[in-house]
Amino acid sequence: MARIEVKSEITGTVWQVKASPGDKVDSGDVLVVIESMKMEIPVITEDPGVVKEILVKEKDPVAEGQVVAVIDG
Amino acid sequence: MAEACGGPDAVARHHASGKLTVRERITALLDPNTFREVGKLAGRASYDKNGVLTSFEPAPYVMGVGKIDGRPVAVGGEDYTIRAGTGFGSDRRKGGQGGFIEDLAYEFRIPLVNLIDGTGGTVNTTRRKGYTVVPGYGQDGCERSTDLLGIVPVVSAVMGTTAGGPSMRAILSHWSIMVKGTAQIFAAGPPVVQRAFGEKLTKEELGGTAIAVDTAGTIDNIAEDEADCLRQIRRFLSYMPQNVWELPPEQRCGDPVDRCEDALADIVPRSGRQAYNMKKLLELVVDTGSLFEIQPTYGRALITALARMDGRVVGVVANNPMFGGIMDYKAARKQGHFVELCDMFNIPLVFFADIPGLMVGAESEAAAILREGVRARYIGFQVTVPVFTVIVRKCYGVAGGGVIDRAGLNFKIAWPSGNWGSLPVEGGVKAAYRRDIESAEDPERREREIEEELRQLASPFRTAEAFAIEDLIDPRETRPYLCQFIEALQPRLRTQLGPKCKTGVRP
Repeated sequence: MARIEVKSEITGTVWQVKASPGDKVDSGDVLVVIESMKMEIPVITEDPGVVKEILVKEKDPVAEGQVVAVIDG
Repeated sequence: MAEACGGPDAVARHHASGKLTVRERITALLDPNTFREVGKLAGRASYDKNGVLTSFEPAPYVMGVGKIDGRPVAVGGEDYTIRAGTGFGSDRRKGGQGGFIEDLAYEFRIPLVNLIDGTGGTVNTTRRKGYTVVPGYGQDGCERSTDLLGIVPVVSAVMGTTAGGPSMRAILSHWSIMVKGTAQIFAAGPPVVQRAFGEKLTKEELGGTAIAVDTAGTIDNIAEDEADCLRQIRRFLSYMPQNVWELPPEQRCGDPVDRCEDALADIVPRSGRQAYNMKKLLELVVDTGSLFEIQPTYGRALITALARMDGRVVGVVANNPMFGGIMDYKAARKQGHFVELCDMFNIPLVFFADIPGLMVGAESEAAAILREGVRARYIGFQVTVPVFTVIVRKCYGVAGGGVIDRAGLNFKIAWPSGNWGSLPVEGGVKAAYRRDIESAEDPERREREIEEELRQLASPFRTAEAFAIEDLIDPRETRPYLCQFIEALQPRLRTQLGPKCKTGVRP
């Protein structure tokens, strides 16, 4: 099992957390939604696997490149 | 003897690291049996006292002409299996900056492909010469490399670890690509960095694709392996003319002009806050399979791609709502470079706009978003090719003004989901009507009233009725609409061929 870090591509605040630890996810699934510039920007996993950790909660500020979730894939 | 490269052992080592030799690369790149080598005899020979050849080391650079899709092209690359592709001190360089193959591409007006796999200068040269030289001295200059950028398409492929001169040669190109895992590019490699800062980095950490392509945009595209790299070079050149005096070749794939995809009707979500797949949208509009992204992993808030519409090459610039569609400094740089590339080679541009504006915030200001954003807009004002704007959704502010053909026909069409302005209604109302709102009995209600009033005025139909937007179209009609106008503008392109002379100082 490889540890895969899923990063936010954009600076903003966490709008919604869509996945929880233990969830099975497929490539293209939305883990977290970031609000930035009045837009809801999905943070998507490119790899399938099982969510190990979600590192942010709603309303948290997020920087570009920040790891928001970890997946075992 | 030259075909043996650096000998069987050196070639075996090269192959073991997942690389082809320069001769194998050239063969794989070109149409079969079209390579005509120049300077095969160049190298270091020794003779005995009777004048009989005793040994020969070929020059570590292989070059010549060949064909790609039936069109002539100049190609050259270092032979890493011979002294790591460093110079060999001939009277005339075979390739690299200032080399024969650059002169040939220039004189014949044909594209140049650099297959870069060399480590650049070596202190051995100083030893051989007996003196040191000022950079850019003699045959090492980049004057020709620079001239070429205004004349013929130049492609650079980084296929090994490159530093110094070959790194510079890679950047002096219209499009560049590097191979994942086996190629690295930097100004100077790990030993130099360690000596300067005491920082110990691997060459992959310093100049692998994650840094050079995804983060820095120093190199444009990534290849999965060498075969993929050579395939992508052929593909890039298929969109390019031979030089600035010719138009790009037309290539039809049988995709009907009147293909109207129902999926386009509801691809944009009702809520302006939600993202959608812009790349899929583009694929539904352009010729099937013709979308070729430039810099796909850098500045991802923007998509820049070469594509065809009814076989004619177009440059596509689209904001990507999956990354907010916001113009950050990376997206701005990417747009400016791509627009300039298309303008140079007479490729008309189509913008698919969904842009809320420039990226705001302290981080973005520190990255010079204003200068980068305005520079992109400045470059846009200087284009000589026709530009179409399809306003898919948002088009706001300083960045929004950069997607419009102000220098030309100012032709913009919108989808019914389009909305635009100097800034969005939300937020803008509070700033402009502060006194009105604050003096109202119920300030919140007053704010909502003004917002609602302005929102009604923001209907795209009102702008179309005022002919302040040239057309409002059914999204499904986008392909036939654009195809017809791109055909109609071809005479314009034919009458403006040649080098572009631009004046002014870029902001």
